[in-house]
Amino acid sequence: MILLENLTKYYPSTAGNQFVFEKLNFVFPQGRNIAILGSNGAGKSTLFRIIAGSEYPNKGKVKTDLSVSWPVALATGIHPLMTGRENTRFIGRVNGVADLDDYEQKVIGFSELGNKFDLPVRTYSSGMRSRLSFACCISIDFDVYLIDEATSVGDLQFRKKAKQALVDKKNSANIIMVSHELDELKLFCDSAVILHQGKLEFYDNLEHAIDIYKGL
Amino acid sequence: MQIKIMIKHQIVECVRELECNNVAKVLSRNLSKIWLDVIYAIFLREVKSNSSDKFGIAWSVISPVAFIFMLSFLRGRMDGGDTHGIPTFFFMVYGMILIQFFLGLVGSVSAAIKKHKPLYAFRQVQPISSILAITLFECLVKVFVILVIGVMCFVLQFDIHISDPLSLLFNLLKVAIFSMSIGVIFSLAACYIPEIDKVKLLLLRPMFFLSGVFFSLQDIPQEYWPYLTWNPVLHAIELTRYAVYTEYGNAGVSDLYLNVFTLTSLGVALACYHISWKQAISR
Repeated sequence: MILLENLTKYYPSTAGNQFVFEKLNFVFPQGRNIAILGSNGAGKSTLFRIIAGSEYPNKGKVKTDLSVSWPVALATGIHPLMTGRENTRFIGRVNGVADLDDYEQKVIGFSELGNKFDLPVRTYSSGMRSRLSFACCISIDFDVYLIDEATSVGDLQFRKKAKQALVDKKNSANIIMVSHELDELKLFCDSAVILHQGKLEFYDNLEHAIDIYKGL
Repeated sequence: MQIKIMIKHQIVECVRELECNNVAKVLSRNLSKIWLDVIYAIFLREVKSNSSDKFGIAWSVISPVAFIFMLSFLRGRMDGGDTHGIPTFFFMVYGMILIQFFLGLVGSVSAAIKKHKPLYAFRQVQPISSILAITLFECLVKVFVILVIGVMCFVLQFDIHISDPLSLLFNLLKVAIFSMSIGVIFSLAACYIPEIDKVKLLLLRPMFFLSGVFFSLQDIPQEYWPYLTWNPVLHAIELTRYAVYTEYGNAGVSDLYLNVFTLTSLGVALACYHISWKQAISR
């Protein structure tokens, strides 16, 4: 269960404070795979980053007893001068992975980088970079994975693999996902949250939520 | 019966192996362990990113050693003798080491929060881990600089004389603490007002000449002292010279001022950090 308590978040600007949320109270129910629906600029990514603890609200707090992943967007926390292996070990250390060598093997296996794993990330293509960061996240045992359109990384084959990995996760963990591709959401999620004008609304049925979202 | 239990065990093992097969287990750590892990990880990253070319990490030691040694050696050769009871070479060496320590630490700590901004995506990484890791790295580099200079003096048979090693160490520590504190304040301020970085350059540049690296406070007429003695680095440098050669004296500088400045700056830096770090990285 993830609890949002009295959450207020604004960005200062020359035209006054731009409020994203004001005194928001919300509970993400446990055991559901949730899609977050909302138009551009509604604050989906901000909400995401606040849940993950990457960013902090101006007031209020997020309470949870679950282990939540970092938002898997493109190449988070990957240092271009370090090799794939060093980056992997860094991420493993920060997240408190018990066995770093074993974790390395899992990331190599999943990312399919082969001997490029020991080259600086600077020399990678952008697809390879996102493969690395996706593999780093999916290889750690979290309760909740925050996925920000990350299944659109890499080539067709890797996409298929990433999707399969997420589907496999559905039994042991939960997913909170942001994507504009509705087919993808239908594949992973069973319920949805609509973010509209700073308010959150939970819908038990994804199809129902999509219909409402289209009507907004 | 026995066999049944054994098979049961094996099945449990297999299931466990399958479960562990594609995910790495996470340790549950207490807060201090998380902090240490994160600081260690960022420290390693810092070492890595400073050693990407062929000179590697050695360059961060060689370059200041060469600079300090050449300048001090030339200056020592030029006037040959003493400056107020200290061999001019050592007079310069202590001044240069401390001012470089100060400038280096303020410079890198004030970039610390922005430098690792992408890493704050991991909830475990907080700006203070970045600040501490970078401070640790800078201090270690400076320890090596001092050691290398010491070895060079030994090889060149310069007479190393230290009357009060403890005060020497404490002075280094105080410089480390207040430089870090000033760096933290600049670093936080730069998150809110980006122009601070430009002002910082303007403020730091004259420090090299105002801190008594090339001259002693005793060379300056007493009526001008108030224009210079606000500067804690000057106090640190003059007191360090006094700590190694008692004959040098400590005219015009005070240990109390240095201590109070160190504690105050640390307090202010921690207070500013405490109230503003969350918003500083959420902008």
